[in-house]
Amino acid sequence: MSERRIGVYICHCGGNISDYVDVAEVRDAVADEPGVVHAETTMFACSDGAQHDMIQKIQDEHLDGLVVASCSPKLHLFTFRGVSKRAGLNPYQYTQVNIREQDSWAHGGDPVGATRKAIGLVRAGIAKTGASVPLDPIGVDTTARALVVGGGIAGLRAAIGLADLGLGVALVEREAQLGGWVARFGPMFPHERSGHDLIEDLVAEVRKRSSITVFTRAELVGKSGSFGNYSAELRVTSPDGGEPETVRTEVGAIVIATGFDTYQPEAGEYGYGIEGVLTLAEFKALVDTTPGPLHYKDRPVRTIAYIYCVGNRQEGGNAYCSKYCCSAAVHESIQVSDHDVSARQYHLYRDIRTYGRYELMYEESRKRGSVYMKFPDDTPPSVERGKDGKLLVTTVDALTGGERVSLEADLVVLVTGMVPRQNSSLTDLLKLPLGSDGFYNEIHPKLRPVETVVDGVMIAGACQGPKTSSESVASGLAAVTQCGGMLMRGTAELDPLVATVNAEACTACGECEEACPYGAIHRVTNGEGEVMTIDATACKGCGGCAPYCPEDAIDLLGNTDEQIRGMIDNLLEAGVA
Amino acid sequence: MTPLIADEVHVESPEAAVAPPSVRLDPDLLSDIKRFGAADVSACFSCGNCTAICPLSDGDGTFPRRMIRYAQLGMKDALISSKELWSCYHCGTCSDSCPTQADPAGFMAAARRYAIASYDRTRLARTLSTRAVLGTIIALALAAFFALFMYASHGVERASRLALFDFIPERLIHLTGVVVMSLVALAALVGVASMVAGIARREGVRFRDVLGGPGAWGRSLRALWLALGIEALGQRRYRNDCGEAAEAEPLYRRRWLIHALTLWGFLGLFLATILDYGLALIGVKATGTPVPIWYPVRLLGTVAGAAMVYGATLLIWNRLRRANVTASQSQFSDWLLLALVWVTGVTGFAIEVALYLPHPPTWGYWVFLVHVAVAIELVLLLPFTKLAHAIYRPVALFFHALAGTRTAESN
Repeated sequence: MSERRIGVYICHCGGNISDYVDVAEVRDAVADEPGVVHAETTMFACSDGAQHDMIQKIQDEHLDGLVVASCSPKLHLFTFRGVSKRAGLNPYQYTQVNIREQDSWAHGGDPVGATRKAIGLVRAGIAKTGASVPLDPIGVDTTARALVVGGGIAGLRAAIGLADLGLGVALVEREAQLGGWVARFGPMFPHERSGHDLIEDLVAEVRKRSSITVFTRAELVGKSGSFGNYSAELRVTSPDGGEPETVRTEVGAIVIATGFDTYQPEAGEYGYGIEGVLTLAEFKALVDTTPGPLHYKDRPVRTIAYIYCVGNRQEGGNAYCSKYCCSAAVHESIQVSDHDVSARQYHLYRDIRTYGRYELMYEESRKRGSVYMKFPDDTPPSVERGKDGKLLVTTVDALTGGERVSLEADLVVLVTGMVPRQNSSLTDLLKLPLGSDGFYNEIHPKLRPVETVVDGVMIAGACQGPKTSSESVASGLAAVTQCGGMLMRGTAELDPLVATVNAEACTACGECEEACPYGAIHRVTNGEGEVMTIDATACKGCGGCAPYCPEDAIDLLGNTDEQIRGMIDNLLEAGVA
Repeated sequence: MTPLIADEVHVESPEAAVAPPSVRLDPDLLSDIKRFGAADVSACFSCGNCTAICPLSDGDGTFPRRMIRYAQLGMKDALISSKELWSCYHCGTCSDSCPTQADPAGFMAAARRYAIASYDRTRLARTLSTRAVLGTIIALALAAFFALFMYASHGVERASRLALFDFIPERLIHLTGVVVMSLVALAALVGVASMVAGIARREGVRFRDVLGGPGAWGRSLRALWLALGIEALGQRRYRNDCGEAAEAEPLYRRRWLIHALTLWGFLGLFLATILDYGLALIGVKATGTPVPIWYPVRLLGTVAGAAMVYGATLLIWNRLRRANVTASQSQFSDWLLLALVWVTGVTGFAIEVALYLPHPPTWGYWVFLVHVAVAIELVLLLPFTKLAHAIYRPVALFFHALAGTRTAESN
């Protein structure tokens, strides 16, 4: 007989479960399982009242294990781990059994079968908890210093924010100058301050803070260590072309703010390559550097045609919307009219996305006489050079009768968006996840917007996807907050559900070391010879190493072989597996 | 989406050969129309509220929105070849419901002025619509010219009775009239031809659709009746669809009626003048022979004159007190036409009163001189002032009716 004292709760989930699964029958079937001292059904296990009763029962009955059969662990694993913790029970001795998504919802047409499956799943859960041992979170001392990769507007603002929290900062910039794209910009929306001035202010703030170390002409080329304690290897090129220097710096977290590239049209794409056909970036540079009415190659520019969505929202290419380019182009058109009220500006667009307050710029540009012409998705405009040397843009205006119309322009602006910057060595080094668009991916777009699946590595700014500079700064500051949460206490807790090596069985064959995708397994020499050891702070508990071990010497805490076997046996017994 | 690749040297592909030629946009069109009094339609974002609420924009008619769009883009030919431009009676409902205060009704009126100027080969219509001071000088100078021209050949001012044609020779008046009307007919013909060519091309109406064979003739005559009889003279849609948006005005103040009275009066006076000349030609009654007030031609003239003066007076009164959306904005061309019509009508009545006074007053001769000069000016300026709508609107209405009969047959 087991000596365990396990409590089992079977949830009705209103009727989501109990309409198809006979929860009373499940309770009766498992009440006499070995180690079970208490079994009951409950209408909503997650309700406050039920949680309160559970805590009471755990304490009164001195339970040492808890099983709740309800919904997916994605919903309530942490709820009932919390219940266990509050009741004084080790949270890792709690097992969540999913009899809703994986049973009642899936087998609504077969109540008898669903009930039988529930019995099997609950018995397996009881077996898992029955074989569980108390586990403690892994405590890690963290280094109070962060590495920021990229000295654009997001990286600069993040560095200042981190320093203001009291953390040390290593700021790494590949170019010779800090500032990235924004440093080259003239007036920017919505406040018309020049990008150059904004960056100058930020760089001055960076210089004021002695806790920020700036490395320019530098790249992150190596990373070792584990969560909370990384050792970063930087290669710093000397300005005089001498031998690059390697610098090592210890950091607790890394913020990646490597920015974007602009889309570069193919030759001939909307006439790109013809003189007078410019990308948005080239046009902005022209507007920023031309005093007074716009001139191009010493000729006055009276008529401008903008073609939107170039390089974006294309099937088989960049399917995404870069979302900043409409506002940026509209803003430029207002600047053009600031210097020349009579300039004629035609905007050929698919959709105008000047969201939020930028809508006001769109209104302003229309008020100043900009003409907006929507072309159908399947009829993009074309650009050619006319016989007289003028640019001839032909399009269809969806708001008239579908006539093809053409206009003569002095300048054609291809409103190009953002593309991911080619940083494959950095991506490979940090094992950063890429989304389908090629930008770095966060864990969750709403709830964990700056964290990546790589612990301690945050993303900020346009390396994550197209952003305006204000959105970039906001995400940089979000990364600051996240770093603060990890590093300010000096210690961090990690889940103890990691792999361990039974040193007595290990023959140090090294199979596991090769299998580990996180570099968490190393060979060490102890008193009796060589064994493999697993760094608990680097291990993600994926279990990838265990099947490679010929000696069966690796076990996964929280999912031990004994636990898994017990679950399988019970499922087989119930005829479910 | 596949981006189009265009080489520097344009190679005509087979598809390009069959695709209709693209319309070259005129970037100055909108600013030009603004000179004709259009409000700033840059504010228009093509929501289509105006089209939705317009009582006349039915079927595939998408005005005023599309007209504004043509102007915004610079599609000049499409704009001045749109028969829809002339459907509108300027009720102002669209301007009331415009969310951006772009004043579509005011735009339509300005676009019509622009179209009149575009059909005109001289620059007179453009000057009279866009330059108030110069226009006023031209109008006064013309009147003075005709007055002096007539006065140069003046005869005696009899005191016993008001012998107007002893003062200004009847032959001179008739001859001047014939010359002026011939000039007007020529200018109108040029304008109408240019308008018809544009609309026909735009509507896809070919010569044989209008005059090729008995079926086409039948359709065309029917369309002509609908355009001239039912709509231009009968004012059916003006009466039924373009009524006052707010609480109904009493009948005698309704827009359609005062417009119709002015129109009918004008035509009645024109007819009376022609008849009087005709009676003289066939020797029934020499011009200037005293007749009683009930004499048919005189009676026609009196009634028609009363109608025209009543209508013109109310039109002026409405504009002065900005009685409705339409009358709230007045351009020089509005005042010019109303002034010419009103002066012609009022001087005519003054002469009639003078004729029947027991002691003919001498001012009758001078009023007569003014009357003749202004009336001739009114006719001469017909293709160049707002009055040109009297020739262009029926043309547009004809194409409207034609499109209607063609649709009806194809259904």
